[in-house]
Amino acid sequence: MSYEIPMGPYHPALEEPYKLDMVCTGETVTDAKLHIGFNFRGIEHLAETRNYIQVIALMERVCGICSFIHTLTLCQAMEELTGVTPPPRAQYIRVAMGELERLHSHVLWAGIAAKLMGFKTMFMTCFALREKVMDVLQAISGNRVNYSMNCIGGVNRDVENPLALVEMVNDLEREMVRTIIPIFTTSSTARSRCAGIGVLTHEKAIACGVVGPVARSSGIAQDLRRDAPYAAYGEMEFDVPVEQGGDVRARLLVRALEIMESCRILRQALSGMPRGEINIGDTKLNFRTGTATSRVEAPRGEVMYSVSWKEGSRNPSRVHVRTPTFVNMPSVRWMVQGARLADTPLIQASVDPCYSCTDR
Amino acid sequence: MTVLENVTVNPAASEDWTLDGGVLWFKRGEHDQLRSEREVASAMNALGARFITITAYQLPGAEGFRLEYHWDIEGRLLGFAFNIAGSTPDTARIESIVDLCEAADWIEREVHEGFGINFTGREYEPLLLREGDTPGMNLREEVKK
Repeated sequence: MSYEIPMGPYHPALEEPYKLDMVCTGETVTDAKLHIGFNFRGIEHLAETRNYIQVIALMERVCGICSFIHTLTLCQAMEELTGVTPPPRAQYIRVAMGELERLHSHVLWAGIAAKLMGFKTMFMTCFALREKVMDVLQAISGNRVNYSMNCIGGVNRDVENPLALVEMVNDLEREMVRTIIPIFTTSSTARSRCAGIGVLTHEKAIACGVVGPVARSSGIAQDLRRDAPYAAYGEMEFDVPVEQGGDVRARLLVRALEIMESCRILRQALSGMPRGEINIGDTKLNFRTGTATSRVEAPRGEVMYSVSWKEGSRNPSRVHVRTPTFVNMPSVRWMVQGARLADTPLIQASVDPCYSCTDR
Repeated sequence: MTVLENVTVNPAASEDWTLDGGVLWFKRGEHDQLRSEREVASAMNALGARFITITAYQLPGAEGFRLEYHWDIEGRLLGFAFNIAGSTPDTARIESIVDLCEAADWIEREVHEGFGINFTGREYEPLLLREGDTPGMNLREEVKK
């Protein structure tokens, strides 16, 4: 006999506002339906009422984790509409901030995954590590969450001594190699909770159009930093980790390897940061009539902004935001089918969902 | 060489594509086969392109709407634009591509709720963003005013 188990709308495990209605036979999930929109904020509409300065602050609030990435994507689109190009130093600072944000997002995720596996000590270790990354973000930007770093034509703050930050990156990498990656990859408990659980097959991943680590852990080698480079990524050397398993363990491995690659990119960006201006100064901005689209590889995958403007207007006429969780989350339906009910919180967490982004 | 082979080889050298605002836009002509969103979806599937999203715009006056379908192929961002007439869910209609492209499900639901556009040939229930309510239309100019 089948029965329904509702999980949410205030999700008990992930503490996020969404609901998963699961149909179960015994302990096994046979189907699921996902409901979102409980905190829908109408930010796209609000954006049309804000001028080109205010809209940056507004879009920074789309996501509480990748706030830098959202303003970067928006500013890149607005730079296309105004025809301005940020100076090289600003492009390097954008890379450094983007990778620091990826580090703090991935380490945060590792902590939450550890908690859901029952590894409370590892949760504390991950959050202590994340705190170090947050300290660096605060040292650079003056803020811990909404960094206010991006502006049209560059960044608002310089990195005073980039080489001093390299040691932090080395520390973080050492800790990842010494503690976190070995425990996640060799512990029998972690293996039993993750291996073969919540599989998203390669074919289904393509059909669902998933992005970011979810796609890369199902054998799809896509990463905008490499495939459509922006900022200074074209000058960085790095690999794109890809796993074939499609299970929770593959998603965990991809993120762990991405932390190492982020450290590698950060070292290059910090040590090779060119001297010079960090923005275009007080140049008058003239928006042309038209639409510009920009894409950036956020920690959870591709973020895309389409920004429309009418010449002479101070406000955008339309801002459309496509966030990674919006395309990744529907795939949970396929991941949980056939899974044990007890594994479903971890399976959902393995997508690293962001409902601030989704209910934008 | 077909218009689709062009985009995988060198779209900049092709008259069928134009780069604007970071997007390679397909210029529909009389000769080509990509005249509907479903033909585009089938062709993109055949090329192994990845569906990204649909961006909807309300056109001035009673001109209707413009829907821009975005796809990615090898890091290239492709755009296909379709204008649809009408202003109510009964009159503003376009065929759904969900049966051809599962990834379009949520964005079709969102556009339906935000603009009141009817993607025909699919179910909407439950509503994605405003469950229990009528379709939102919160991005329509007349509602915003």
